[in-house]
Amino acid sequence: MMTSTPRSRSRRPVDRVRWWTYALLILGAAICLFPVYWMFVVASTDTATATEMPPEIVPGGNLPHLVDLVFSTVPFLRALVNSVLVAGTIGVGHALLCSLAGFAFAKLHFPGRDTLFLVVVLTMTVPTQLAIIPQFLIVAELGWVDTLQALILPGLASAFGIFWMRQHLSTALSDELVQAARIDGANTWQIFWRIAFPIVRPAAYVLGLFGYVTAWNDFLWPFVVMKSPENYTVQIAIKALQNSFDIDLGLAMAGSFVATLPLLVLFVFVGRRMVAGIMEGAFKG
Amino acid sequence: MATTRLDPAPEAPAPRGPHARRASSRVRQGFAERIAPYAYIAPFFLIFAVFGLFPLLFTFYIALFDWNPIGDQTYIGFDNFTRLWEDGRFWNAAGNTVSIWLLSTLPQLMLALVLAHLLNHARLRYAAFFRMTMLVPYITSVAATTIVFAQIFDRDYGLLNWLLGLVGVGPVNFVQSVPGSHLMIATMVIWRWFGYTTLLYLASLHAIPRETYEAAAVDGAGGVKQFWHITVPSLRPVIIFTVVTSTIYGLQIFTEPLLVSRAAPLTCGPARECQTLTLFLYEQGFGVFEFGYAAAVGVALFVMVVALALINYLASSRIRSER
Amino acid sequence: MFTRKTPARLRTAASIALGVVFAAAGCSNGPGSGGGRSFEFWSFTGINQEAAVQEYERANPGIDVRLSEVGSSVETAQSLTIGLAGGKVPDLVLIQGDDMPRFVDQPHNFRDLREFGAADVQDDYLDWVMSQSVAEDGSIIGVPTDVGGMAIAYRADLFAEAGLPTDREEVGRLWPTWEDFIATGERYTAATGEPFVDNAATSVFYQAVNQVSRKYYDDEGELVYAENPEIRDAFELALRAVDAGITARQSTFTEGWSAAMKQSDFAVVAAPSWMLNSIRSNAPETAGAWDIAAIPGGAGNWGGSYLAIPADAANPEAAWDYIREMQSPQGQLRHFTSSGALPTTPSVYEDERLAGYTDPFFSDAPVGRIYTDSLLGLEPFHIGPDSAPIGQEFLNALTDVEQGSGDPARAWENALRNVEIAIGE
Repeated sequence: MMTSTPRSRSRRPVDRVRWWTYALLILGAAICLFPVYWMFVVASTDTATATEMPPEIVPGGNLPHLVDLVFSTVPFLRALVNSVLVAGTIGVGHALLCSLAGFAFAKLHFPGRDTLFLVVVLTMTVPTQLAIIPQFLIVAELGWVDTLQALILPGLASAFGIFWMRQHLSTALSDELVQAARIDGANTWQIFWRIAFPIVRPAAYVLGLFGYVTAWNDFLWPFVVMKSPENYTVQIAIKALQNSFDIDLGLAMAGSFVATLPLLVLFVFVGRRMVAGIMEGAFKG
Repeated sequence: MATTRLDPAPEAPAPRGPHARRASSRVRQGFAERIAPYAYIAPFFLIFAVFGLFPLLFTFYIALFDWNPIGDQTYIGFDNFTRLWEDGRFWNAAGNTVSIWLLSTLPQLMLALVLAHLLNHARLRYAAFFRMTMLVPYITSVAATTIVFAQIFDRDYGLLNWLLGLVGVGPVNFVQSVPGSHLMIATMVIWRWFGYTTLLYLASLHAIPRETYEAAAVDGAGGVKQFWHITVPSLRPVIIFTVVTSTIYGLQIFTEPLLVSRAAPLTCGPARECQTLTLFLYEQGFGVFEFGYAAAVGVALFVMVVALALINYLASSRIRSER
Repeated sequence: MFTRKTPARLRTAASIALGVVFAAAGCSNGPGSGGGRSFEFWSFTGINQEAAVQEYERANPGIDVRLSEVGSSVETAQSLTIGLAGGKVPDLVLIQGDDMPRFVDQPHNFRDLREFGAADVQDDYLDWVMSQSVAEDGSIIGVPTDVGGMAIAYRADLFAEAGLPTDREEVGRLWPTWEDFIATGERYTAATGEPFVDNAATSVFYQAVNQVSRKYYDDEGELVYAENPEIRDAFELALRAVDAGITARQSTFTEGWSAAMKQSDFAVVAAPSWMLNSIRSNAPETAGAWDIAAIPGGAGNWGGSYLAIPADAANPEAAWDYIREMQSPQGQLRHFTSSGALPTTPSVYEDERLAGYTDPFFSDAPVGRIYTDSLLGLEPFHIGPDSAPIGQEFLNALTDVEQGSGDPARAWENALRNVEIAIGE
């Protein structure tokens, strides 16, 4: 490793960014981006070249053909629509419902509040996947197997989201402001919409984004519940592309790429907000 | 919508704490106002009741049955649990889960520590770009990630083995060997989460005053020394937090092993090389349709989660009291 | 700043989104229009079911068959089970032969096809195939769509390079027994340094174990897999093939297997009739280089499927009309010429369109004749409810050895132990 810089320098050593810092960071960034790039490369060359060594590392011209194939092999367009519907509804619902509940826990006083909040916190540690068998039976009982609401409803509110919004509101919204509004004759509903929500809107937006990404990428639950190709989400469509008799690696990669691309595009616009969201929602020890 | 009401006597700010008595000098509010808070939190509790709590309790019930979803359901008491205790496949899955968790957690934390330290430079350029790039793996779906990594790690036609071949190693059978498949899945988990963890650590680092580093630098401590003496200790709480979350995540690893082995998807290889607990649960439930037995696996998972949560709680409170 | 309108807008957006979702969910249920003549059909991927469906729709205007290619045969059976449990079933479903006994054991989940007149056409089909879809109470659960038959697909060009004969008759004479097959493989690998066969688990064990007189059950339905010497022999045979180092160690239907086929990294693969489609679509660039020879060890069958109608099907009559039309002897014959799947209706085996059928992709091999010959003298064995998981455990134990992890000396014991655990005996 490097030794510390001589003290004769005018600049403080802590401020100097050494070249190897950049080198390591660029390496890290490359590692993060490479698999997605590789998806694109394999998807744009045909399978025969994808498995030949030395590998092609430059995209070929086969992408349109394979993407065509993706959309004709499984109803991929329908899957994209389904994913947008499910993830979009969950994103919006998640943001609103968690804000509302967070607001109630942070700023309203009602019997049983602390006990109920403790329940919310406790549920954060229980992985719901272990109850997948009865969850399936319930959905079957409701007649929701193979329907989109079976995917949407369980994701509409989350303990973490409520916890996070409560934290935000506790610090960002002063009790005096709530009191003042009450004196002005506002009821709780109005207080939420006129005072609380505008304050936490950025946080709710970030929460909605995370809800969206999580729902978009969810696999196990849709895999259990969705049976007909016209109800697949993109993740299940990718799995379906891994056709059992005709294994086309390029096809699976092209499908993966098509499924990732919408999120990548979205990410270009909202990535900064998500980064900020993670850093703000960071655990404060 | 609730009607606007005049509320001349605002309630006093409630004292904090679970045992605080409510101020009793409150003017009676309308019914709608009193019910409002419950209405706001109701959606979560409703959803949690239907898709969380009830299924959880129901799991314990189903676990007492030989439950064929398209046939009969017979009460068999604790037979599923005794069978589970003697089932090598279950212990194998538990071992795989722990092994993948260990392989993925430690390197991920180290990597995140180092990167967060590097990203914490005040004068770093393109910091926003680096931070955003770190989050790309997180938004890439596990299904897509697995397909790409399985190709890269393939024994005969993968990029990685080709590279290893250039330096005269291999070919390594990553996909269908125990250590290889664990390493591969751990790599996927690390790839997915290390950027996210880095950002968490970075946020905590921002809370450390820069003077601390400057003082250390004046005392002649170099970057490495600063890292060990300032960065790591001040991150201890967030490190514990990430260990806890990665444990909970680790118990739920499912998609990666399912999609890794095309030859035997539900067992992650012919000899259950990388079958995790959740995948074992899925296999018993939706592969061979022994719902009762699968529910027993779920109960075992639940016991593990509770035990881990307790251990975590005790460990972190010990650490807190030692400070 | 936030105006009072915004929340309302947001709420409207949310309710619209919800409305759309429920509308979308609503229209994904139930069959489309068609007055009960249209129906929903679940099938496997990769067998080109689409072609048969399109043919049916052309012949019957106004009927809309909503085909779902669910996944592999195993995944389709799993989806069907989940569907039966969850109250979401198609009108018509394709079930692979190995998965059939589990469903035949629970006949209440399916319509008894005798209601539609299946008893009248029962005799059109091979006895031993038909009998596997008849439940204990006599109800007919499914109608057989195809059988596999058995053969070896080999790369004539690679054989030539290795100094082996290339003519399909001569190649067949290279390996009257499986021992000879392994010996041929050793010759090939010695000459070229390349693997001979894709893997031992399916291309050797799965073939040999389907040429037996008794398999995992005896004729009374008792489990005999552990003490049946024929099973042990097939298993040891596969171990010998692994030991000889002639396999490419690529499990069937994996990405590596597909890539190896494209790149000519093995020369031989066991191919029942339904496998031909797979070779064709996986390695189109090898067209004309393949040929087909008789399999070592004589008559046998691997694979084949059935069409069944779940009890809760919304349009059972429409589904039955499809079965009657497409699975008649003439219907299966037409399907054979378009897809290569071997009919289960022996009355067409002598038909020139089948007996004289040659396939250009496989050097004009007379595939119809080769596969029907492979079924001659076949002694059917009893298939039981756990045949599929038992076979899978044997396969897994062999694959484990083949991948270099398992100890060949303990493979048999491991397999037996895993079977016991799997079937809970």
